[in-house]
Amino acid sequence: MRPIDQLVLDENNVAFNPVVGNSYQVNDIAKEILIAIRHHKSKEDIINELTEKYDVSKEELFIDVSDFISKVKIYGLL
Amino acid sequence: MSKQTYLKPTINKVEFAMASKYGSPLKTQKIRSEIDGVKVSDLVEQYGSPLFVFSQTKIEELYHNLYNAFSSRYPDVQFGWSYKTNYLNEICKVFHNLGSIAEVVSEFEYQKARALGIEGKDIIFNGPYKPYKDLKIAVQEGAKIHVDNLFELNDLEKIADELGTKIKVAIRVNMDTGIYPQWSRFGFNFENEEAYEAVKRMYDGGKLELNGIHSHIGTFMLDANAYKMATIKIMQLKERVENDFGSIIDYIDLGGGFASKSHLKGVYQSPDVTIPTADDYAEAITNAIYEMNKSDKLPKLYLETGRALIDEAGYLLTSVHGYKRFPDGKKGYILNAGVNLLYTSTWYNFNIELDKRYDGENEPSMLNGPLCMNIDIIEENIMLPALDRGTILTLSPVGAYNYTQAMQFIRYRPAAVLIDKEGKSRVIKEIDDLDTVNYKEV
Repeated sequence: MRPIDQLVLDENNVAFNPVVGNSYQVNDIAKEILIAIRHHKSKEDIINELTEKYDVSKEELFIDVSDFISKVKIYGLL
Repeated sequence: MSKQTYLKPTINKVEFAMASKYGSPLKTQKIRSEIDGVKVSDLVEQYGSPLFVFSQTKIEELYHNLYNAFSSRYPDVQFGWSYKTNYLNEICKVFHNLGSIAEVVSEFEYQKARALGIEGKDIIFNGPYKPYKDLKIAVQEGAKIHVDNLFELNDLEKIADELGTKIKVAIRVNMDTGIYPQWSRFGFNFENEEAYEAVKRMYDGGKLELNGIHSHIGTFMLDANAYKMATIKIMQLKERVENDFGSIIDYIDLGGGFASKSHLKGVYQSPDVTIPTADDYAEAITNAIYEMNKSDKLPKLYLETGRALIDEAGYLLTSVHGYKRFPDGKKGYILNAGVNLLYTSTWYNFNIELDKRYDGENEPSMLNGPLCMNIDIIEENIMLPALDRGTILTLSPVGAYNYTQAMQFIRYRPAAVLIDKEGKSRVIKEIDDLDTVNYKEV
């Protein structure tokens, strides 16, 4: 199981990893991306879904989602 | 169906140690949306980015505050605007209109002052290197020459011969004022008698006449008491040379060095705590003159304050060009202004403000400039929310030295704007272009 799969996501936008005791503050879109990654969606799929939902260009999303995934990896969650 | 508002996705590990009774670094944002009532976004739209912005209102406030601190304690005070601190013509004019004469350290600055209509008699010519030709012009025009070394003294004697006249000069003196590091590069040393010997040499030559004593004890002086020490020693030398050589020392000049509210790197406390006030400096100097004066007449007091009169009146607007994630997790923003424009970033932590409040929590970030150089770092550690491309950051205080020392390196030097007392902005220096860079190349 990947650490990201162990995260408990609550309604206050806190992601808690009960195995190691770390907590992460996330925002709504970050939560959506975390859930999508847990569902094994590809980066491209995630970007396409968010482009449909939010008022943002695909180019900007590519940068932001790539950055977000980088940080998730740096935190050792993925 | 209309789309929802987008916010950049953020994830930040909760570090419980970061929260304290003083607040959370995850939430704090410094905002500056305007300068003297002019929106920073309008300034960038009208004049481009990066952009130096100067506030005339702030300059005048700083000037009056310092001048009043001295003039309320001492009857004869004259400020000389330190050209090297910021010699943009319009900035110099503001200071001259307020009553400052000019203080220059090179022939180039001397020429600048003359071109602005300042008479030679209203120019203090300091500095360790005064080319003969320019020194002679300054003498002919009646400038206040502050002798730095014996070679210059010889040059002045030769000029006196050539002109067939005696020249009035002041002498630059360095000394131990209890601060470290002691500045001993400029002028003649007080403690080891070098200064007295130089005066003696001057009178032995019979071609020069001493009428002033000058010192510049350092820069960003955090101890007002150092000026008291300097004043005491200058007044001791004054009394001695007046007694020994019958000279009349019309003036003493305590130079510059008063600190601005810049945040020195490595200093934990806020500048509001560490920086002496104008009154502190004024009291240290004027009390020492009163205590030490043995003559019937008080000497005129000159001050060459630069930094403390302009630093907080200067801002640099810079824009976010992009960002990347560094392997250590830090977010690295690429700005369009870097160390090429911010010479003082080596020593000072700037106040960095955002153009508006941004949603989301702060994360550890780094601000890098546009140069293709690894050292181009404006701020290595700063907590920032997710910023958009085009976000305008205001860096301050940058009024002192940054424009004059801005490098012509890789990028064109930006425009500079002055906001007058009516809140109207105008260009005082246009952005450089290829012609500027190529000028004089053959």
